[in-house]
Amino acid sequence: MKKVYICSDSATGIFSGIYEAWRRKDQQDSGIALAGHVEPELFCTYEEVEENREKAAAVDRMICRHLGGTAYQEISQAVLSDDPGRGDAILGTMMEARHIPDSRRIMEHLTHPDVEKVFELSRRVGAEAHALKGFVRFRELKGGILCAVIRPKSQVLPCLAPHFEERLPKENWMIYDKSHRMFAVHESGRRWVVVWAEESCLEEFCLEELEVSEQEKRYEKLWRGFCETISISEREDKKAQAQHLPFRFRPYMTEFSQGG
Amino acid sequence: MRIQETLTMYEKLNILTDAAKYDVACTSSGTSRRNDGTGMGSCEQSGICHSFSADGRCISLLKILFTNECIYDCKYCVNRRTNDVVRTSFTPDEICTLTMEFYRRNYIEGLFLSSGILKSPDYTMELIYAALYKLRTECGFQGYIHVKAIPGADSELIRRVGFLADRMSVNLELPTAESLKILAPHKTRKKILTPMRLVQNGMEENRQELALYRHAPRFVPAGQSTQMIIGATPESDYQIMQVTQSLYQKFDLKRVFFSAFVHVNEDAHLPARSDEGPPLLREHRLYQADWLLRYYHFRAEELLSEEEPNFNVLFDPKCNWALKHLEYFPVEVNQADYKTLLRVPGIGYKSASRIVKARRLGTLTYEDLKKMGVVLKRAVYFITCEGKMMYPVKFTEESIARNLLASGERLPKEVVHMGYQQLSLFDDVRFGGGLGEKGIYMQ
Repeated sequence: MKKVYICSDSATGIFSGIYEAWRRKDQQDSGIALAGHVEPELFCTYEEVEENREKAAAVDRMICRHLGGTAYQEISQAVLSDDPGRGDAILGTMMEARHIPDSRRIMEHLTHPDVEKVFELSRRVGAEAHALKGFVRFRELKGGILCAVIRPKSQVLPCLAPHFEERLPKENWMIYDKSHRMFAVHESGRRWVVVWAEESCLEEFCLEELEVSEQEKRYEKLWRGFCETISISEREDKKAQAQHLPFRFRPYMTEFSQGG
Repeated sequence: MRIQETLTMYEKLNILTDAAKYDVACTSSGTSRRNDGTGMGSCEQSGICHSFSADGRCISLLKILFTNECIYDCKYCVNRRTNDVVRTSFTPDEICTLTMEFYRRNYIEGLFLSSGILKSPDYTMELIYAALYKLRTECGFQGYIHVKAIPGADSELIRRVGFLADRMSVNLELPTAESLKILAPHKTRKKILTPMRLVQNGMEENRQELALYRHAPRFVPAGQSTQMIIGATPESDYQIMQVTQSLYQKFDLKRVFFSAFVHVNEDAHLPARSDEGPPLLREHRLYQADWLLRYYHFRAEELLSEEEPNFNVLFDPKCNWALKHLEYFPVEVNQADYKTLLRVPGIGYKSASRIVKARRLGTLTYEDLKKMGVVLKRAVYFITCEGKMMYPVKFTEESIARNLLASGERLPKEVVHMGYQQLSLFDDVRFGGGLGEKGIYMQ
């Protein structure tokens, strides 16, 4: 009988689920479902997965070793997406890899629906992360800490944090992901960490109320002025602007918010 | 000339941004650099867009002039010496502070520094060098820098600047030497090509150095680019494409940019002012053709000819080429080689490479192609899957063209306004201007 493993909506959860499914003899008949997105089926048993980092790390290593770097990267990105079916797609991709001659070429096998889905999800996450590498706006708080807020569809912080660590190694900065209630925090000269916000501390944490530094407003004004001036009025094309820079990003960007 | 001494930083930035905005390139691609742990900044190979302005163009770099004072009198330029506008200059310090503070907040990917000619080319190049030197050494800036090589400046100066910058550019300004003579009397083709050749040779030498010593300083690692103004002078698209092609071949340029002429000055030598606005569709078609040269192994002579010197308004250059060369089509996607696939309208270089890989593991269907990013509504007329076309189509130029137009192929909005039925489909339409399309200055 088919067995569906229920796990939490996180990379650790999904990989733990895959760990359990993989251990089972009859993998063809396994599925991964996210808690809260379970659609009951007939002739199917459900099991809640006991999640932990060791299980997730084991799956991580297995993908890296058997499917190679490309697939590893695509899967690590796909798992960050917001699609509830991503666990199934990843499991399906891993199983399909055993049936082709060279499992390291699994991501080229785009005619397989699961592989195609992982490819598509990874592309979506990658695109959002790439866009945000540009659209993130830091504000300097009193005391010099740089602080940014984003509201992404996917859990892009693990993609963004290494980028900004590389770029701003000597700054203290943090990025708050409002959709998933996560922080990426970087202390000057150290490695970045991602932390989940506790419900209780979120109440207290309201970025809009944090006090910005003396010169912050000055640079914000200069930047807004620059963005306005650089546009050529004879070529105005708001539609193209919206195509490249969708409205959902704008509430958190300096040049689209009013300076107080 | 008006020079105001007491401008605020805000006003200065405003003036020197406004004066720089007609420069096209705002790309930050072509090189990747890791931070060495001591300073600030890094470079991504693909480049990063940080914002988009109201004209739909990407903002990636802090694009400013060092000064808008200029000893030249180029008729198309807002900064020509005979224009009565407020003149001002940055100091190297101001440029450094602005760049560093903007970069920290992730507003920008780096600096694009251009300049009017203050006193002499050498003097201006010296100032630019001073600013970049300070930015790279004292401030420890490791982000992207695009800088102009000033025609006429000393070769040693240009060389020194090249070791601080990621990309250099010299603007060709206009497609032909004759046009240049009329509109930019102080510039000559030779003066412009000299620094271009200098940078090219410098890059070549540097490549050999780097092969020997991996840690040798890098000279203009993101390559050089140029731009020319489209629509201010009477050159045809064919002439422009030929110039572009030879720039890629003979000067090893990374990019050639086109800039639709915007009326900023009144001058008898410029085209008469009209309500049509800048020739944006023409610019768009040129960029499409430029992609075909760089990524799709096309040659200018295949796309245009003396008899047909301008691009079709209705179809993009690749589609237009395919319609005229039906003898190559339809191609079988499960067999055709990579280069053949590249020539199919609706198949890009990424989807072509996906197709070549995926078909080793299974036979491709139309559904699969769609998922791989092929634009089927354009491609269907030119391909078969397992020997079958998706729909039965009468395989003639006329019928495919009508199908393409009927299938909701996105027409440039101005073409729709002028009622395209009145045009014969393959008329060689002279571009007026005002045929607007998307700004496509992506990185």
